Amino acid sequence: MINITLNGKKLSVEEGMTILQVAQQERIDIPTLCYHPLLEPYAACRMCVVEVKGDSKSELKTSCNTKVQEGMVIETDSERTLNARRLNIELLMARAPAAKVIQEMAAQMGIEKTPFPIENPEAKCILCGMCVRVCEDVVGAHVLTFEERGFERKVTTAFNMPSEKCIECGACAYFCPTEAIRVEDFRGREVLHSELTLGPTTAIRIPFMQSTPNVPFIDKDNCIHFKTDKCKLCEMVCEPEAINHDVEDTFKEIEVGSAVLATGYELLDCSNMPQYGYGRLDNVITSLEFEHLCHASGPTGGKILLKDGREPKGVAILHCIGSRDENYMKYCSRVCCMYAMKMAHLVHEKVDAEVYEFYIDIRAFGKGYEEFYNRMQKEGTHFIRGKAAEVTNAALIPEEENKLIVRAEDTTVNMIRRIPVDLVILCPAIVARKDSEKIMKLFGLCSTPDGFFKEQHPKLGPVSTDADGIFLAGACQGPKDIPDTVAQGAGAAGAVMSLGDEVAIEPIFSAIDEEICVGCKICIGVCPYDAISYVEDKKISSIEETLCKGCGACVAACPSGAADQNCFTNSQIEAEVSGALF
Amino acid sequence: MKPYRAELMVCAGTGCVSNGAFQVKDALENEIKERGLENEVRVVTTGCNGFCGVGPLLVVHPDGIFYQLLTTKDIPYLVEEHFLKGRPVQRLMYTPPEDKLPVPKMSEIEFFKHQMLIALRNRGIIDPENIEEYIARDGYTGLAKALNGMTPEEIIQTVKDSKLRGRGGAGFQTGVKWELTRKAKEKTKYIVCNADEGDPGAYMDRSILESDPHSILEGMIIGARAIGAQQGFIYIRHEYPLAMKRLLIAIDQAKEYGLLGDNIFDTGFSFDIQVHRGAGAFVCGEETALLSALEGQRGEPRPRPPYPVEHGLSGYPTNINNVETWANIPVIISRGAKWYAEIGTENSKGTKVFSLVGKINNTGLVEVPMGIKLRDIIYGIGGGIPDGKKFKAVQTGGPSGGCIPDSLIDLPIDYESLKEAGSMMGSGGMVVMDEDTCMVDVARYFLTFTCDESCGKCSPCRDGTKYLLDILTRITEGKGNMEDLDLLEGLSKVVKETALCGLGQTAPNPILTTMKYFRDEYESHIKDKKCPAKVCRQLNIYTIDEERCVTEGHGCGVCMRECPEKAITGEKKKAHKINQEICVKCGACYDVCRFGAVIVE
Repeated sequence: MINITLNGKKLSVEEGMTILQVAQQERIDIPTLCYHPLLEPYAACRMCVVEVKGDSKSELKTSCNTKVQEGMVIETDSERTLNARRLNIELLMARAPAAKVIQEMAAQMGIEKTPFPIENPEAKCILCGMCVRVCEDVVGAHVLTFEERGFERKVTTAFNMPSEKCIECGACAYFCPTEAIRVEDFRGREVLHSELTLGPTTAIRIPFMQSTPNVPFIDKDNCIHFKTDKCKLCEMVCEPEAINHDVEDTFKEIEVGSAVLATGYELLDCSNMPQYGYGRLDNVITSLEFEHLCHASGPTGGKILLKDGREPKGVAILHCIGSRDENYMKYCSRVCCMYAMKMAHLVHEKVDAEVYEFYIDIRAFGKGYEEFYNRMQKEGTHFIRGKAAEVTNAALIPEEENKLIVRAEDTTVNMIRRIPVDLVILCPAIVARKDSEKIMKLFGLCSTPDGFFKEQHPKLGPVSTDADGIFLAGACQGPKDIPDTVAQGAGAAGAVMSLGDEVAIEPIFSAIDEEICVGCKICIGVCPYDAISYVEDKKISSIEETLCKGCGACVAACPSGAADQNCFTNSQIEAEVSGALF
Repeated sequence: MKPYRAELMVCAGTGCVSNGAFQVKDALENEIKERGLENEVRVVTTGCNGFCGVGPLLVVHPDGIFYQLLTTKDIPYLVEEHFLKGRPVQRLMYTPPEDKLPVPKMSEIEFFKHQMLIALRNRGIIDPENIEEYIARDGYTGLAKALNGMTPEEIIQTVKDSKLRGRGGAGFQTGVKWELTRKAKEKTKYIVCNADEGDPGAYMDRSILESDPHSILEGMIIGARAIGAQQGFIYIRHEYPLAMKRLLIAIDQAKEYGLLGDNIFDTGFSFDIQVHRGAGAFVCGEETALLSALEGQRGEPRPRPPYPVEHGLSGYPTNINNVETWANIPVIISRGAKWYAEIGTENSKGTKVFSLVGKINNTGLVEVPMGIKLRDIIYGIGGGIPDGKKFKAVQTGGPSGGCIPDSLIDLPIDYESLKEAGSMMGSGGMVVMDEDTCMVDVARYFLTFTCDESCGKCSPCRDGTKYLLDILTRITEGKGNMEDLDLLEGLSKVVKETALCGLGQTAPNPILTTMKYFRDEYESHIKDKKCPAKVCRQLNIYTIDEERCVTEGHGCGVCMRECPEKAITGEKKKAHKINQEICVKCGACYDVCRFGAVIVE
């Protein structure tokens, strides 16, 4: 322990602490700009100077990097200190007049104007080096650096060009105290709703509110450590030492008798439909993004806000974006009408805005749905029968200035209407997941023409599939709302339960005669159900009976006649043929 | 070695070389051969002699006769007269400014007479590219003594007892620094020689490197032994190619002789030195910035603490000393601390090399004991101010130093007294200024330098020096007001107090000292819009003395032709006139008029 005097107060503090750390512990405010507890002291902004009094002379020292020494007498707000800080902030005010943190710090010191000439009133960078140090020391990407020297010094990348080494982690912007560095999404839009647009996401997060277990995880795709082998700031700040970057994903093989596929759906990518301006115009979002915006744990804490932070005065909800459309998906996505009305209800509840629903037909087929539709009509939602043709920001009349205009043919009055609104919500088609084909191949399933998994029979087998023991639940089979999904899930679970320990298979399946098979593998290529595999040690092909559907493709293809199908053996068929002919 | 009748020491320092020393040397050798004297007279190229203002120069040993300002044309006559006929050539000897009689012997010349050579002990005497000549002058005896008869602690104690202080400027006790580095926990230790000399007008380090590179190597090997370092670095400016060449030769020779490398003197002690070329940033002379540059980083200072003695090169304890400091070490070890500590003042021991430049008769490098009076340097060694002008001030310590006025001319020079006067020892630059120098302009000049060389890391130096320079420029252009003086003073103080490294902390010194001693000049620039020394051209008014123009110059019209703005009108044989409304005060007319007809007010 070391004895010091801080602002006249005698203290006994731990050895190795800096003056700043002691002051913060004592709740004494020392302004800092280039200091960050997670970074090495840089001592460049000189705002944290304090007066250290000695016997013969006293000196101004930067508190961020000066360690306390026995008998030190420190004054954090002597006239000399304050004077130095004042002039320093005046220098920074001239350099970065637009930086909010500088303006606030100056205001706190009672300074309104800098006596030094301002060259660029828009400038924000104070050259504290936070971004460069983070990029260098923490992230290890070595993208940012300083260029030039003295007054001309600036932060830049090598040769002032976009760097290939940048891993887009956003750490520079996160650490920047003056907002001089901004992260923009790939279309150059500022990230207000970082989760809605494609800005950087945090690498540590709880997947979603209801996740089990409800603990954060490290997203390897976004974690800096897995890109540059550095950072590990989370390990430094986690007091219980719960973070371990070296844990690897493990793959477990579990033997089961049956499986329920509930892989869900995707929304159609709206940026492929330029007429609606998604990704091009601000404040055009999808229904799922609106859902996220409304959520209490969302980016705005549940408030419905526009990109610039205003509340919308008009909201348009566009049905059937890609659904019931010859050019995209012919089918009806089934859930949009109802959730669109729910969203209208939410908008009414949260903001004072007009809501317009652009629809083809309202399909309120479920229990209590029609009543909800009627209620929405009474709540004042404008229902316009006609599919929205275009969303534009090109105004024709003054009322349309700075608005998004939805153009649609209103078939009830037989005219083209232009509705100016602030926020446009698209209800995109529900489509099969991109990787559904992979899943189908894995489980030996088929698909319907629209890409969803095909059930065994539309009426008699809506839960089971062609593969015995494999069942479907939810939107992976086709667009479905929550009650239907729950019902199908329960049905699938019941079907699994009723199986007991064994799977009943059809009596018709193929078999390979081990004596005859030469291991040419031709049958493996032709089997549509992936039921045939090659047995390495016997050098022959072998059929898995539970997967085989008895289609007979292998029997026809086998050049040596080793494959045979029970119930339809060659001799049986020959007998049948001769019986029929003679 | 074969004895010669006469040895001609041709100075081959950078100053003399750029004035044609090598051509003079070739001419000498040719001429000697032609006269058949090659077995009697030998030509030797030495390092910088120090009297750079009169180069190329030649010292004839054993007589010690000094020839100056030589050209190749002088050589045949010189060889014939002196070396063939034995009649030294008076025409080529040094003549003191007020005297008519030349001084033949180097030791009698005022410039050399008052000097005391320790760091520069071998200058002009040995061939710097020949290790044997260094050894012949007792070179490496200090190392032999240190390695064979002394423990590291004893070496450190000797250096401590000598009270040698860092010659780089700050004047930290060298022995104490060595001890701190030795005591640092880490086993790997480094030592560094700081040869990044960057002050405008200062070149003592270059001179030592060029004239006596082995003295630095010897000092460093002794230091490495005392500190326990395994590896040494010499950080040298890229602008010193000759010094670097000689250093590399010296390192090769020392390795060949077993004085450097593995198992030195069979004592089991190993040490190697690597030379690192600097890329030319002034701030890299600051020790932490130098270390950054040595590591391959951007040459920028780091916050201290931690100090390099604990956390230096790549995080290991590192001892950094200046060239001149290292050069002093071998002599201290071989001759003992007591001998050294008897030279100088109470707190500043030994000698210091100064580069005496500016408005002074004898320009060159001088090594004098600490405590010598400014007057003795300027009027004794320096031979006073040329053209009988009045001495006004001397600027010491380079751009980081301050200006000392003539009222303090009897100031004894040591670390403390200079600091008290508001200046500093620095690396030893001494710029003498006469009455024609404008002190505001001087401050502005040095600020231009520091502002340009600021690395830009900390805001007081980066932005502060820029605005200080802005204000000074404003004043020299006659656009200043009295509030500017307060701002100038306040900002100077804050920059001095809060800047990160030595560069910024000392950058305002030229302003603060000139404001302290020459405030009236600032006021006259602001209030009267006049520059007393007539240097700040924007404040001058140029007129033509019509009578002189006609009678002396016959209306020659040169000024009219030179005037870029065509502000001068006139005809041949008639008086010319300057139109004040067009005149931009560039001063071209004043510079070209050979008849003194252009008058500045």
